[in-house]
Amino acid sequence: MNTAVTREMGHFFQFLIQEMKPRGPWLTPFNVISVPVILTGLVVLYFRFVYGLGAVTNLSQDFPWGFWLGFDVVTGIALAGGAYVITFVVYVMKVDKYQSIVRVTVLNALLAYIFYAGALLFDLGRPWHAFNPYIGNSFGFSSVMFLICWHFMLYMVAAFVEFSPVIAEWAHWEKARKILKGLTLGTVIFGITLSILHQSGLGALFLMAKPKIHPLWWSEFIPILFFVSSIYAGLAMIIFEGTISHRVFKNLIDPDSHHAFEDIIFGLAKGAAITMFVYYFMKALLFIHGKQWGFLNDGWGYWYLLEVLGFVLVPGFMFAFGFRNRSLNIVKLASVLALLGIVLNRLNVSFISFRWYAEVHYYPSWQEIVVTLMIIFTEIWIFRWIVTRMPVFKPAH
Amino acid sequence: MNSFVYVNIFETKGLEYLLLLCFWVLFIYLVRYLSAPVKKRKDLP
Amino acid sequence: MGILVDTTRCIGCRACEVACGEEHDLLVPDVINDGALEMQRTTSDKQWMVVNKHETEKGDVFVKRQCMHCYQAACATACPTIAMEKTKKGPVIWDGNKCLGCRYCMVSCPFDMPKFEYGSWNPKLQKCTMCFERLEAGQKPACVKACPTDTLIFGTRADNLEIARHRIYSHPDKYVHQIYGEHEVGGTGYIYLSAVPFDQIGFRTDLGNKPYPEYTKEFLYAVPMVLFGVPAFLLGLNALAGSSKSGGEEEFDPDREGGEG
Repeated sequence: MNTAVTREMGHFFQFLIQEMKPRGPWLTPFNVISVPVILTGLVVLYFRFVYGLGAVTNLSQDFPWGFWLGFDVVTGIALAGGAYVITFVVYVMKVDKYQSIVRVTVLNALLAYIFYAGALLFDLGRPWHAFNPYIGNSFGFSSVMFLICWHFMLYMVAAFVEFSPVIAEWAHWEKARKILKGLTLGTVIFGITLSILHQSGLGALFLMAKPKIHPLWWSEFIPILFFVSSIYAGLAMIIFEGTISHRVFKNLIDPDSHHAFEDIIFGLAKGAAITMFVYYFMKALLFIHGKQWGFLNDGWGYWYLLEVLGFVLVPGFMFAFGFRNRSLNIVKLASVLALLGIVLNRLNVSFISFRWYAEVHYYPSWQEIVVTLMIIFTEIWIFRWIVTRMPVFKPAH
Repeated sequence: MNSFVYVNIFETKGLEYLLLLCFWVLFIYLVRYLSAPVKKRKDLP
Repeated sequence: MGILVDTTRCIGCRACEVACGEEHDLLVPDVINDGALEMQRTTSDKQWMVVNKHETEKGDVFVKRQCMHCYQAACATACPTIAMEKTKKGPVIWDGNKCLGCRYCMVSCPFDMPKFEYGSWNPKLQKCTMCFERLEAGQKPACVKACPTDTLIFGTRADNLEIARHRIYSHPDKYVHQIYGEHEVGGTGYIYLSAVPFDQIGFRTDLGNKPYPEYTKEFLYAVPMVLFGVPAFLLGLNALAGSSKSGGEEEFDPDREGGEG
């Protein structure tokens, strides 16, 4: 029994070492750009941990949350919403048409949560206490942050279980694959429930900051707005990443599925159009309810109109128009605008309109941006490694 | 503290219901727009 | 327990600042030479309290500012590990063993009081503790003890409110008829009396009377509901969804059952 297990492990290690070998040229444009950035980011992190957050960030007593929290965590998680939407469509509603993108979308979400929850660790003042919300006897049940900590962790587990059949297929663990496949529906349901709560929860974080966030961006319904917008953020991200992946990893995708992929894009565009329409009217409702027309005649008002009209209404119409006229280009452009709108909204809530009345405003330091890029580039490296070795672009069976 | 100000917290409700009506009408148009037969691509049978 | 601050009595000597700094190993200001009263200051990661001078129509008013020790403290509600805790005695205190340094307390505090040690690899959250250790030993807070003019009165909130009301009724022309902190943000441990309207002496008057934890109450109450209802709802949808559909583009036919893919 012992020798059989040892032999198995030996085989697996050999397999792993074989898989670790690079599958392509070292000097690609992406590698040349990303490696120096990643290395610089590591140096920045050294300074952050030795000299404190103030040494590398522009955070201050007035602005406790900045780019790492606002972009990496709050925006990044919103953009990872595609997984719960697509697993809902495919596994709960059994719409087979979207089968072929489930694996890559779940992989993207899994990596996003791991890396962006990881980014949160860099932002914490005492990251060695990061396990405190999970262990011990001092649970802050009244805290939205506590909820988010737990949901992120549970969702990572759920996303991992959802993706695990792919790993089992890669490692030729057929029995494990069957067991994990059987867990899919339950895990998907769990994942969707968690996603509803933590996407809205990220919005709920800002509820107590009412006097500090500009009235055009604060509302008691922030949680619902964050949740609804995460739906179309996810759809737009699938279109955006999917388009890039299909070009970069052309050799891994069988040619037949290219046409099916276009059908998928248009289907997602339709969903995005409807969701953005609903979201726009929700914003309009809150605008009326708060009698906010008085806020429109200054810089903040114009900025708000730019976000809501230019980056929600316009891409929403473009999705509808692009779908109806089967124009891939319009749909792709719409997804970029929609994603920019999400980034804008999340950053506006977390630090741009936060203390909008302050004399000195926060803007991210170059170090904060470099570390963010480091996280994103590393995530892409891992994505590329997985996708070129594991059957991510094969349909789930 | 010296004066009493009457604040009607339902002041905007009329406008909100109007907005909802607009939403429902436009939504129906949107769904019809998205469900109409899509233009056929020339390269497909 | 709480503290009543009668700003009509404060002479701006800043003995409280010195006492606080000495008691807690923080910055001890050189009150004679530092000219700090010529500018508006806020607390920092080196000072738990400051005294500011405000020029008003009734002359210079000196106001001591620090953590308000709210009854429904936003910071304590926000903290995921109860590192910020509203103690039964009244003060809101911070426990470094639990703190992650997430700074959510800073985001949530309507008075912007918790201050973070951005320059340290092991940062603390710095704010007034109402000298919690001294209270446990049966003593008064250091600032109250140091004050030469009885500006600061330490006692139960009920007693402090009575004293404050009594002063207003007895000298109705001397005070604005409002006790700041009586209703604001649901009631605070520190309450203030003033001769001039509070927005003239550096207080925000737009914070509302609703306790800040109540802003997240509905959301947190909804969480268990969602966790109960959504999985069952999704399973139901799954059961009703029937066999896998191709999801092809079909004409929208309102009379056809089942709807579109």
